[in-house]
Amino acid sequence: MSSVTDIANERPTGALAEQPAAAERPATRVRRSALLLAISTLSVLTVLGVWYISTERGWVSPVFLPKPGRVINEGFENLANGQLGKDIWMSTQRVLLGFALAGIVAIPLGVIMAVWAPAKAAMDPFVSLLRPLPSITWIPLTMLWLGIGEGQKVAIVFMGSWIYILLYTVESTRRVDPLLIRAARNLGASDVGVMLHVILPGALPGIIAGLKVTLAISWSCVLSAEMIAAQNGLGALIWQGKDWGNLALVLVGMLCISLVVLVTDKLANMLERLLLPWERHQRT
Amino acid sequence: METMSPILAAHRVSKTFTNAKDQQVLAVDDLSLEIDEGEFICLLGASGCGKSTILNMFAGFIQPTAGEVLLRGQKILKVEPRCGMIFQSYALFPWKTVRGNVEFGLRMKGLSRTERRERAADFIAMVNLRGFEEHYPAELSGGMQQRVTIARMLAADPEVLLMDEPFAALDAMTRQVMQEELLKIHQQSGKTIVFITHSIDEALLLSSRLVVMSARPGRIKAVIPNELPAPRQIAVQFSPQYGELKSAVWSLIESEVRRHGTAPD
Ligand SMILES: Nc1ncnc2c1ncn2[C@@H]1O[C@H](COP(=O)(O)OP(=O)(O)O)[C@@H](O)[C@H]1O
Ligand SMILES: [Mg+2]
Repeated sequence: MSSVTDIANERPTGALAEQPAAAERPATRVRRSALLLAISTLSVLTVLGVWYISTERGWVSPVFLPKPGRVINEGFENLANGQLGKDIWMSTQRVLLGFALAGIVAIPLGVIMAVWAPAKAAMDPFVSLLRPLPSITWIPLTMLWLGIGEGQKVAIVFMGSWIYILLYTVESTRRVDPLLIRAARNLGASDVGVMLHVILPGALPGIIAGLKVTLAISWSCVLSAEMIAAQNGLGALIWQGKDWGNLALVLVGMLCISLVVLVTDKLANMLERLLLPWERHQRT
Repeated sequence: METMSPILAAHRVSKTFTNAKDQQVLAVDDLSLEIDEGEFICLLGASGCGKSTILNMFAGFIQPTAGEVLLRGQKILKVEPRCGMIFQSYALFPWKTVRGNVEFGLRMKGLSRTERRERAADFIAMVNLRGFEEHYPAELSGGMQQRVTIARMLAADPEVLLMDEPFAALDAMTRQVMQEELLKIHQQSGKTIVFITHSIDEALLLSSRLVVMSARPGRIKAVIPNELPAPRQIAVQFSPQYGELKSAVWSLIESEVRRHGTAPD
């Protein structure tokens, strides 16, 4: 806590004025981050270089690892004929739909479980039983119930995601500072007031953190579902590459998955900052 | 003269806690206290003697194990918004701006947006935080946060202000400013205040009556009317009357410290 407050102009001169990072001089900081960036670049170039040389020289057979040039060609070809774009879009659609449904079900359920013990008691046995099941174990049943259409892919994403969202929601709702709930009641808040103004905003950062983790899980669910039974999507693309002995296509698919998940993560971070304006100012 | 009924009363109140090791801890033992409307009571005593426990019972956060606490003659059975609490750790809503925090009580009462804004603006000005309406608590210093809690509580307009070591975390200069502001608020509003402190000087400056508590289990050791001339300023500390009162209070506390081994300040 700041020890000096400039009373004349009401500005804190302590903790706010001295930011820990500012202790390092800006010039030094810029040079440090430039150096770290150079190291990252160099390490990527080295791996690419080793890949290039070992495939060019024939140290590694193209059966096991295609040349980088082949992968680039394959990528551009599939981009040009629209196949890649379509696969990315199909997978994204399935992920977003299944993920959104999971959130719509699990967030309200998690909040209720956190504040109302009977609901938690009723749900806990199922949560314990369902949690250890990887999403692919749902493939036989969902195929039986829903066929092999879009519904089945979305169901796999849903089954693989909702429990994580539920657990994060329960945990972060229970962690809301009880002192703040007392303060709200002391200021005249009803049960509904406490829920809307204290419990939900208090749990929100934890819920959003959970959603971010779960989104990556949702992606792995859709890919495994697509590998087993799908005409399109990035998982199907990879599986086709394998069936046709086209390793370059497999690598293109894998690279796309990484990029798409990275981009979704960045978007999620932006959304998080937008939704939690107060978190930007936390000093710790 | 007709005797005024007290606004706040504790009748033979005891409170036993069960601690983490499943032992029974007697925090408050058979304590009785009556507080009249408009009084400024300072509760003084060593750490762990049950001061916060008493305040929490007045606020309705916890219930006594025996005896009863009354507000205007009615038993306090649940959280009582007429007894506004100022927490030592501020308890501001981190997701609300200064204005959002100060408006909270008014919003819970269902006031319209414009009315809320207007009333909140008055209290924000009162605690000298104009210009910080859109700031979040994390952007403010400790002293500023404590002033937001005071504005938030005053805006909700409780009848009694319960304050648990509100200035303990502040630096000396800010504390002095806050003490003078609180005295002004007390004079202007005439609200009843129950204020916990570790500091004899703070108690002498603020109170109209001092309640000195014994070390655990909490009982009242002495009740001392504070007849230092009001309105008081910090300069009151240089009067001879002040010195006499202070040494009287100190000797009461000293015997407790010797008995129990913890200094109050
Ligand atoms: N919730 C609780 N559970 C167990 N023991 C408690 C609890 N609250 C207070 N106590 C105990 O009661 C005694 C009085 O506490 P408190 O009222 O906080 O003292 P003070 O505010 O005077 O420092 C202490 O010994 C404390 O450990
Ligand atoms: Mg205390």
